Amino acid sequence: MSAPVDLSVALGPLALANPILTASGTFGYGLEFAHLTDLGRLGGIVTKGLSVAPIRGNPPPRVCETRGGMLNSIGLQNIGIERFLAEVLPGLERFPPRVIVNLFGVSVEEYVRLAARVEPVAGVAAVELNVSCPNVQRGGLEFGQDPEVLARLVRAVRAVTGKPLIVKLSPNVTRPVEIGEAAKAGGADILSAINTLLGMAIDPVSRRPRLATVRGGLSGPAIKPVALRVVFDVARQVGLPVIGIGGIETVDDVLEFLLAGASAVQIGSALFRDPTTAERLVTALADRLAADGVATLRELIGAVRLPS
Amino acid sequence: MLPTDHLAVVERVVEHPLPYFSLLLAVPRGWADLAAGQFVMVRTGSGLEPFLRRAFSVHDATSSEAGDRIELLIKAVGRGTRALAALRPGARLQVLGPLGRGFSLAAEGPVALVAGGVGAAPLYLLARRLAERGQRFDFFYGGRNRTDLPRLESFAALARRAGGRLVATTEDGSAGARGLVTEPLERALASGEFRFVYACGPMGLLARLASLVAAHGLGGEAALETPMGCGFGACLGCAVPRPDGRFALCCQDGPVFAFSDVAW
Repeated sequence: MSAPVDLSVALGPLALANPILTASGTFGYGLEFAHLTDLGRLGGIVTKGLSVAPIRGNPPPRVCETRGGMLNSIGLQNIGIERFLAEVLPGLERFPPRVIVNLFGVSVEEYVRLAARVEPVAGVAAVELNVSCPNVQRGGLEFGQDPEVLARLVRAVRAVTGKPLIVKLSPNVTRPVEIGEAAKAGGADILSAINTLLGMAIDPVSRRPRLATVRGGLSGPAIKPVALRVVFDVARQVGLPVIGIGGIETVDDVLEFLLAGASAVQIGSALFRDPTTAERLVTALADRLAADGVATLRELIGAVRLPS
Repeated sequence: MLPTDHLAVVERVVEHPLPYFSLLLAVPRGWADLAAGQFVMVRTGSGLEPFLRRAFSVHDATSSEAGDRIELLIKAVGRGTRALAALRPGARLQVLGPLGRGFSLAAEGPVALVAGGVGAAPLYLLARRLAERGQRFDFFYGGRNRTDLPRLESFAALARRAGGRLVATTEDGSAGARGLVTEPLERALASGEFRFVYACGPMGLLARLASLVAAHGLGGEAALETPMGCGFGACLGCAVPRPDGRFALCCQDGPVFAFSDVAW
């Protein structure tokens, strides 16, 4: 047997025991999976998006299956930051994995309030901002679609938090790199990419959209090539550590994202197919690196061999 | 009982008149104690399609020396269910369960069980448990035609055992009385025969039953079916509107709901 592979990785100020995280919205608040998978083996978990007040979410149908993936339009339903901190976080602290809270608001003030609220909470390892939310002060344009608006938002949050700050990029923009640069200018430590792709499905028999809100977010293996391209571009051009997200289900998928420049990955809808996917990938990644004679994860990050 | 994800072995595939069939699965010890109305999430293939698991209510659950076993009554309608129909004994199937909240068995006196088509699936275990408790029930079974009433004779036998009867209706008159299942049920409810109604079937039928149950001042529970992502409360995809304007989750708060807890 060769020496155990070192899967630890540091993304700027965020140190992880391994690079396998769970993606926001696909792992509940974490405890839903406690009896189905060993939370302690994960590099970290990212919570369902949390807001200042609870949100009841969109009318059904909220999900539909598509070829190689699924559409969702949950409508940001969540229990609100206070209930999460009081009722869920203490339960998660029994497990070693790092808890990253995903936060969103409809105004800069709401994001700032949320970040300030979790700042003194020791059980929160990092903050991830969901910036694919409509900004009510700007006619509903998403924060993450305008570089100036995003830089202002990130700067305001940065001012109230010393925790590692992750900004989750949307693929629904022409130039994700520009948005990533704006997040960096605002003081982000890490970028995660990508959020879901806007999509739609229609039932040809009833002629109705399959989601009550008509449009929804596409996730799953169908979006992996898009995610990989965004991670590749952002990792090379922005100069911040990147967490890759989008259709990851196998150890080959993980390797592709690492080679493209991601320092860690988040597992999303694959967790619905198999709740142990993330835990399995931690083992599979270690086995694979050992088999390939790779001593540390770090030597793979961004190591794609490009044509000269 | 906390749900587990288990690689179940297919013991038998039982053909009913097409497109219905049953899968008998060997499952871990303890599963036979699950509540009628609980469900499992089944992975129907190893590839990318179908992408999501399929939710099936447990049709029957039994225990013997050899181990525990569940039966799923399935209508082959899409890619996932057709893949399951092609399984042979010995095949292995990833099954997550038991999930959700089942029927309560608190009702006193004679009760009515109402099934629409494959909605009969979870009512078999309920009917068997009621019969074993010696509780009388009548079984109202409606479908479009005769094949839409799978396991009709088994339901009739259970009802007889419980001192009740089976009332079948079909829209084309190929079995039982021609018409909708709500017609004989309405007459029975009007005569004050039942204190409680258990149901499963299409949403339109359940909504109609909700108003009948309310009009007669009865209690009742319905097992719902919604699009579902995960089955255990993580994706929040299976919202069910509640009378207070908020949403329940079909997978966690249900799939069995009191009629009065749903905004039909």
